[in-house]
Amino acid sequence: MGKLEGKVAVITGGSSGMALASAKRFVEEGAYVFITGRRQEALDEAVELIGRNVTGVRGDAANLDDLDRLFETVKREKGKIDILFASAGTGEAVPLGKITEQHFDAAFGLNVRGTLFTVQKALPLFNDGGSIIMTGSNASAKGFAGWGVYAASKLALRSFARTWLNELKGRNIRVNVLVPGAIATPMQEEVLSKEAKEMFESMIPRGKMGQPEEVATVALFLASDDSSFVNGGELFVDGGMSAI
Amino acid sequence: MGALEGKVAVITGGNGGIGLATARRFVKEGAYVFITGRRQAELDKAVSLIGKNVTAVRGDVSKLEDLDHLYDVVRKEKGRVDVVFANAGLVDPVLLTDSTPDTYDKQFNLNARGVYFTVQKALPLLADNASIILSGSAAWQMGIPALGAYSATKAALVSFVRTWTAELASRGIRANVISPGPTETPMVHVGAKASDEGTSDYFKKMIPMGRLGTADELASAAVFLASDESSFITGIDLPVDGGTASR
Repeated sequence: MGKLEGKVAVITGGSSGMALASAKRFVEEGAYVFITGRRQEALDEAVELIGRNVTGVRGDAANLDDLDRLFETVKREKGKIDILFASAGTGEAVPLGKITEQHFDAAFGLNVRGTLFTVQKALPLFNDGGSIIMTGSNASAKGFAGWGVYAASKLALRSFARTWLNELKGRNIRVNVLVPGAIATPMQEEVLSKEAKEMFESMIPRGKMGQPEEVATVALFLASDDSSFVNGGELFVDGGMSAI
Repeated sequence: MGALEGKVAVITGGNGGIGLATARRFVKEGAYVFITGRRQAELDKAVSLIGKNVTAVRGDVSKLEDLDHLYDVVRKEKGRVDVVFANAGLVDPVLLTDSTPDTYDKQFNLNARGVYFTVQKALPLLADNASIILSGSAAWQMGIPALGAYSATKAALVSFVRTWTAELASRGIRANVISPGPTETPMVHVGAKASDEGTSDYFKKMIPMGRLGTADELASAAVFLASDESSFITGIDLPVDGGTASR
């Protein structure tokens, strides 16, 4: 018997990387998952890869109308949510001095504002005793040049978790931040140069990036009753990069 | 198939509370466990509760010769260790004004020094990719009256795993802390001694989830850190405290 038997999960940004690996694992553990993504083609591929017990809903987690549509679909098909993994996020390296409004708004619009409204709009459907997981970044604990806006946007999620812990305790809904470090995802491949990848690997004690599947296992822990007394916290999944 | 199939685990302070619950869960997940404790009668009871795949070794973790004896037994019986759960610890609630070298030393000797050497002496037996787990406390991040020395011993553990992460990564060995909040164990009643309220009321006010944790909830977090499910997690402190340290 799986660890998420009969549970309904919503995973934003679920068409690639860590979130896709998590969606796959959640289904293997008995959950039904809704995944979102902006590109229909990537979403279709993800749905095919996951294979069963999955619905893809195209949409941008920074767009409130898209979020409404997402949760209407969930409501119609399943009527409830047990697990929300708010994972959609974006970032690019822009140093102080070159930061534009567009750069700031893109990061905060999706990573902070989008995450906030994803959670708020999910709440009416949430079963008591559910689990909310947000994706942070260990960049918030380091000082990577160029990543200031991204790092700040991700640290806001830790603050949300602390507030929501107290606001949602009456419903026994847990809120935690999963904090990945350098993970070998398609997004990393896209935004990092070869030199940057080598730089990150040199900072990881084991010298190798994490795999999306190594993040999915942590998401599973936070989603399942195995973490029933873990609440309001951040769980670093970065191979010790921010510990040393 | 269990999450710890074929693994050999050492759990100090394994005869009660979180240590015992974890030992039971490890065995259920397929591990062989060695447990330690100071009192033979409690060890015997724990062994019969765990039922199978367990060896008890009587000893005091703050005595280095007892640790040598522990690992001698492990070496003879299994020859290696995959998981060390350095869990033995004690709390003596006493205000700064009333502390003595004795109240300070006994907590640091077991909780910090004992843990340090529990891990050091395990190293020759530790398999590549082994997992080291230390029992911390949410108290290290807080300011709880009378728990000054205790909380500092637990803060030391958070520092230990950071250094060990760097020192042991080349062998694939991971090191993490689990920090329980108030948990329904015999020890929690000692921790509340400084308060005039009943244990439950004193702690419930502190815990956003409005209840104490159970030893089983700590055990499931320990299984997670012991298993390959946490293969990219090292050097962290995992609070299992119902939000106590984040409130």
